[in-house]
Amino acid sequence: MTATDFDSWKAVSEEGLRFFGEMSASVSHEIRNKLAVINEKAGLLQDIALAMKSGRSVDPDRLEVQAGKIVDQIRQANRIVGALNRLAHSVDATGIRIDLADLVGLVVELYGRKAAQAEITISAAVPAGSVALITSPFLLEGLIGACIEAAMPRIDDSRIMTIAAEPGADGATLRFQNLAGIEDADIELGGEGAGARALLEMLGGRLSADGRRGELVLEISNRVGPDSGSQP
Amino acid sequence: MRVLLVDDEEELVVTLAERLSFRDVDAKWATAGEDAVVLTEQEPFDVVVLDVKMPHLNGIQLKKKLERIRPEMKFVFLTGHGSEEDFRIGSAEADHYLVKPIDIETLVATLKEVVGS
Repeated sequence: MTATDFDSWKAVSEEGLRFFGEMSASVSHEIRNKLAVINEKAGLLQDIALAMKSGRSVDPDRLEVQAGKIVDQIRQANRIVGALNRLAHSVDATGIRIDLADLVGLVVELYGRKAAQAEITISAAVPAGSVALITSPFLLEGLIGACIEAAMPRIDDSRIMTIAAEPGADGATLRFQNLAGIEDADIELGGEGAGARALLEMLGGRLSADGRRGELVLEISNRVGPDSGSQP
Repeated sequence: MRVLLVDDEEELVVTLAERLSFRDVDAKWATAGEDAVVLTEQEPFDVVVLDVKMPHLNGIQLKKKLERIRPEMKFVFLTGHGSEEDFRIGSAEADHYLVKPIDIETLVATLKEVVGS
């Protein structure tokens, strides 16, 4: 391994850890919020039960409604934990065939809370099974996350970022749409700059901007990493 | 005691308001800072319980706005984080600071203490 390769892997590793840490923090915050709601709902059921015991008249429908809402919160928390679990397991594999719709959907799910905090809705416009890619899923998830972070400050008045995908001759293209005021010259990847750029290089990616269409364009090659060549 | 609960998680504030009503605390709620401002302009509250981190207008910014409308109001901050940074901000900016999930009896005791002080 050359010194350049070492630096590149170091930057990618650090960026991967940063990305994983940020996603874990975001998901744990969201789960804590769900637990807080479940805590209050369970407490409310206790309050209602105590009121009934002391002879107060309580509509039994209130119990049913609150129990249903607890189930809803658990379902939502389970979905979020499932996304984090999929992210964790994506570290396991490199150079595998992935469904880009599935992978983009996962990143969109993980970024849901951060986007909501910025009053942005992110949607994936990638039909399932429409674009296959051979790549390292965890690295690509980090790169897509860095692109989302770069795109968020440039969102247009619609506040809806659409991520569209199309197959390419040797890979795929992702378009982060509904952006305003972007020029080729001023693209800065989100995340920790150097790490995100190393991810881009390692995945054989190219990032550009289409100012006229208001899009950040990420082209990705079928590639598993710098040491394994461009084609599996 | 009149309390205003502000948190972007609607299910949380609705349920907290209902639980407080079982304890003879009159609580209203809002899920956005702007709505909290409107409610505060309409009627006075003894205490505002608000989340530190909310979209658009965060807890610190909202507190400053509400203080201009009703300088006598007291504030209790809530957070789901519990980080040292949040604790530092929360304890510096509000009369009290609670970490979610909260215990309802602790909340009621805190509200009474804040109003009593």
